[in-house]
Amino acid sequence: MPSSVTTSEGQLNRRDKFRAYMQAFNPTAPAWEAIRAGLVLENLHQYLYRNLAARADLEPGSQQLLVGGVGSGKTTELILAGRWLNKRSQVLPFYVDVSTETDLSSLNSGALIAGFGRQLGRRLAEGPDAKGHTDERRQKLKDSYAKVTDYAYGKTELLLADENDLWVEDAISEGGDVPPRRHYWHEVPGKLKPPLPPLNRDIQEVRAPLEDLLFTAKEVHKDVVIIFDGLDRLLDATKFWSVVHQDLRLLRELKVSVIVTAPLSVLFGVGVGQSISDFFDRVHHLTVIPSDSASTSLESVLEKRGVTNLLDPAKAYLICNYSGGVLRDLISLARDAAEETYVSDRDFITVPDIEKVGRQLGTGYLRGLGTEAINALLHLESSKSFDLSQPSNVELLLTRRVLEYSSTDFRVHPALQTVIQRPEPQRA
Amino acid sequence: MPDFSTEPLFEIARRLEIRGETGWLAVLSPAADSAADLDQLQSELQSILQMPSRVIQLERSTFEELREALHHPHNDAVILSGGTGLTQEKWRSLDLMRSALERRGPVVLWLSPGDIGNLTDHAPNIRSFIGGSIFLAGPDGGFMTEAERQERLKELSEHFGFSGDEAVRRAAANESPHEPEFVEWLVLLGRGDLL
Repeated sequence: MPSSVTTSEGQLNRRDKFRAYMQAFNPTAPAWEAIRAGLVLENLHQYLYRNLAARADLEPGSQQLLVGGVGSGKTTELILAGRWLNKRSQVLPFYVDVSTETDLSSLNSGALIAGFGRQLGRRLAEGPDAKGHTDERRQKLKDSYAKVTDYAYGKTELLLADENDLWVEDAISEGGDVPPRRHYWHEVPGKLKPPLPPLNRDIQEVRAPLEDLLFTAKEVHKDVVIIFDGLDRLLDATKFWSVVHQDLRLLRELKVSVIVTAPLSVLFGVGVGQSISDFFDRVHHLTVIPSDSASTSLESVLEKRGVTNLLDPAKAYLICNYSGGVLRDLISLARDAAEETYVSDRDFITVPDIEKVGRQLGTGYLRGLGTEAINALLHLESSKSFDLSQPSNVELLLTRRVLEYSSTDFRVHPALQTVIQRPEPQRA
Repeated sequence: MPDFSTEPLFEIARRLEIRGETGWLAVLSPAADSAADLDQLQSELQSILQMPSRVIQLERSTFEELREALHHPHNDAVILSGGTGLTQEKWRSLDLMRSALERRGPVVLWLSPGDIGNLTDHAPNIRSFIGGSIFLAGPDGGFMTEAERQERLKELSEHFGFSGDEAVRRAAANESPHEPEFVEWLVLLGRGDLL
């Protein structure tokens, strides 16, 4: 039955076509995968990553902050910056996503240093830079790496007890392995071991082993750059500041260039913005990309990923409009529209498909909003003004119900706008 | 108040299947006591995605436990169940660890309908991964009337270009097309045993 075979092959091709499209529009794929697959538009933010990388390269010890809302493409810029440094300079870059290493909810100062020290130590003591050292030097590197690891994960050490400590006998009798008399086992908590107790140890404790590792690193590479991702998850600016302050001070003293992400609240949170701009050499704000007729950037993002395989290019603007310029929303909407098309047994995305997924996205943003918050959104819509001294308004910004196109241009997320119910106009 | 699309669990699994790896979505359970629905979702994922699936309770899991469970293994299908609802504090702590939740296999958040507001309010990073992929769990093919079943069988026959008997023959001969619709066809034909 040749006709049957043809139909089946047709279905198979259809499925393959949708599968390939879905892979290109995967909003949860790791950023490095999208970069490697050539799906990223490197000039989307006017080559911001090159600015980040060049400053870190040219000014050892410089500290830069990358601020942006959820889904704005921060990680992509950071990874591009790291790749650029790796390829084009003598700098040794490290990328650490702090939120994968430790429980940020109990993060304390010292944790960034611990994460960085571990990566540096591993590279020098066990990685590609471990070769070519004398035995003595190799041992010293291993010792420093071990000290940094202890600092990160904690250790149990044997301490000499004070003669007058009456509780020493109890501590000894409780332990499994009885240590020599007048000594006791003491648990020293690490920086990255969740849950973290409050720590009183001085961050300077890890300075010496870190300096030793950096000395070796700089013999091979010119300088070291550390990129800290994931700190933008700390939506509370005060918490963010308390975590980074001490660690970044030490890294500046050690002449290590730093690029670090931060949430939008550090720019707009009450009383925090000023200290951030004083502390960092450069603050980069990754704003939302406008989807108006003056800019075709968003459409270029879709085109780069092959949207035209399933969508009439003249209709791509609809997806851009619903996204409001939030990159992850843009990718999600393009994927969801194709998914609607696929499950409806159609071959090409239609306008109703886009409208349906746009409303779905908006409904998600709408849930959880009380009357007061909806009134604030309607007020923004009509007056174009947005009072950021109100913590509830900062919340709307952090949850992406309100988008920032510049430090003075705020708008309601367009997908949310389509599902907000407006009061009936009063009749005279 | 606008609501999310209602989809049978089978369709939800089908959506994940076409996405390929690393898909995330949220399903709102139809009732407060939805253990049976959760079991059904787990088996739908298993048969449509043709991979093992697991349920992990979010409320009871610490950072370390969750990270460990999601990465060992990292490529099966996982349902993260919020039970009857999570506290705001729990949502905030989950949001902080979103990077640690990222994995190769698909992730389904199984939530009570009232919890979606908490997700948007207190876990914007996780919500961003979910996007608009939030569905209300609806009745599945098991609730079809006989007329609906016959209509769907006809559609599937046209879709593949051969009869139900031929579908059974191909499945028995291990010549099944790797398509979720084919799995659905066999189930509707009462030959789920051939999967």
